[in-house]
Amino acid sequence: MTRILFSDKLDNCIARWRAAGLTVFGPVKTDTLSSYAAIEQASDFDFESVLPDRSIKDLFFPQTEPMLRYTIKKRAIETEDFTPPNGKRIIFGARPCDASGLAIDDSLFGWDYKDEYWIQRRNESVIVSIACTKADDFCLCSSLNLAPDSSTGSDVLLRPLENNNGWVVEELTDRGREAFLAIAELLQDGSDPIAPIADVPEKFDLDTCVAWLQNPENFESKFWKEISMRCIGCGSCTYLCPTCHCFDIQDEGDTYSGIRRKNWDSCSFALFTMHTSGHNPRATQSARWRQRIMHKFNYFPGTFSVNSCSGCGRCSRQCPVDMGITETLQKISTLQP
Amino acid sequence: MITQEKYRTRVKELLANNSVKMVIGYKQGSTADRRRPLFVRSFEEADELVLDSNCIGNLAGYLVTEGLLSDEKRVGIFLRPEGIRSINILAAESQLNTEQIIIFGFDTSGREVKALQGEQAGDFSGLIDSLKEKPPEKSSDALLYRIDQMNTEERFAFWKDEFSRCIKCYACRQACPMCYCRRCIVDSNQPQWINTSSHTLGNFEWNIVRAFHLAGRCVGCGNCDRACPVNIPLRFINARMAQEVFESFDHYAGTSQTQEPVLASFNKDDSETFIL
Repeated sequence: MTRILFSDKLDNCIARWRAAGLTVFGPVKTDTLSSYAAIEQASDFDFESVLPDRSIKDLFFPQTEPMLRYTIKKRAIETEDFTPPNGKRIIFGARPCDASGLAIDDSLFGWDYKDEYWIQRRNESVIVSIACTKADDFCLCSSLNLAPDSSTGSDVLLRPLENNNGWVVEELTDRGREAFLAIAELLQDGSDPIAPIADVPEKFDLDTCVAWLQNPENFESKFWKEISMRCIGCGSCTYLCPTCHCFDIQDEGDTYSGIRRKNWDSCSFALFTMHTSGHNPRATQSARWRQRIMHKFNYFPGTFSVNSCSGCGRCSRQCPVDMGITETLQKISTLQP
Repeated sequence: MITQEKYRTRVKELLANNSVKMVIGYKQGSTADRRRPLFVRSFEEADELVLDSNCIGNLAGYLVTEGLLSDEKRVGIFLRPEGIRSINILAAESQLNTEQIIIFGFDTSGREVKALQGEQAGDFSGLIDSLKEKPPEKSSDALLYRIDQMNTEERFAFWKDEFSRCIKCYACRQACPMCYCRRCIVDSNQPQWINTSSHTLGNFEWNIVRAFHLAGRCVGCGNCDRACPVNIPLRFINARMAQEVFESFDHYAGTSQTQEPVLASFNKDDSETFIL
């Protein structure tokens, strides 16, 4: 016997969660784009797409975030902090790769410096993931020690029923249990069969790739130039990535007053590492692409023991010149370590 | 297939007699319909060349890659008519010397690919003149028609909504053959002319500045529009600017390598209606 949430109860659930003070978010598709956004009713959800175009990162680490307002007066500088918006929320229908992405970035944002914006939003959010029953050619979770039904980063994992009329509920954390207590009486016991999870074939052997990346001799390999020759140096792979977390601090305003903001930045941009002197340690696009791969599969796991990639495949799916992590690691896996 | 085979043979011929150091073309991408840029330097790579109706990206921007043409060796490139216009503009703006460029021109009508006659930029002037004769069709697209019918407030609201999705990834800029500046205005941070934030002001600043910089230079290849990861219909902004420039100054971008840039030249007969 398992606990089941039937789809026809979803509107009731939304009402209960709202009554409990939670804002409900989920995957939403418009004419132009799909993303995670606030919803009003069950019919607003998009459970059909393989995954939203935009990653879940947007809800925790927005492209632009005001940090403080400053005013320079004759004898003093006055500052006023912007605190992250308060509000408990439930993100219903997250993809397991996106939820895993949050867990990956938790280690970074909760490291030596505690990023209050990230941490507060994480603490106030309940992540309810739905195991994937569909995948496309770009999905690669299975190549990264994850799976279409990984529970990493989720507070609750839902497994779709074979009849596509509901989900088997697996509560994973106290935060998840608390949110589902509010809808406890809407759940039913049952033994309905669950749908098989999506088939995501393994695309490369990660250990082989990591061994190659860790060999210092390969840092200057001509492979980097070859693989990135067509890279046009835009930041779309990094900005759609659920785990890319680099940002820049910018002051917007005039000499006397303004707002300090935290804005996304990308290792794809030449300006990212440009020194004041004009020297750029990553002067070429190949050095920048190498950095992105090394960071995700060598440096980041070296510090946090987890790869900075959850296998959503967005980088490859939307690349204007059809590049991406999959192609690069597939090629690396065929090279001599 | 015939055109593809013919061109593969020609590419090998040029590589064999050292007439080109590289040919920029297309190969099979990660899914059935995707084609990705290919840099051909060997016969094996030449055999990977694909030419069909899915080869839609304008490759001209790769020619201004720093250092590519500085050894004065020749480079071949596969281009549609709008790509050839891009080459003419780049030459007119002193970014390249067309004598260094061997063009494998092609066009698609329906599913068939046909080769364009000629290999040097100048060989295609007749073709481009004939394109100018039939200027961009007004409102051939339903959405463009809808935008045209809007009043100023409605149009502002429309673009405000579209730009609200902008994430400042600059894929539009990077994909554009005309955005070759070594340091773009958004990369200037002392002072920071353009906000890097993607709030309403920052998004308008960026997208409008880019539109103005492309007035009279955009050939409508669609690279920006296809590259945009948040599906902003950028082609409409640039198509509209091209239409304005055509109607006001009889300027059709990229007709020749000696064409004067429309915003960098003037004529005493130019319309002055915009001067208040």
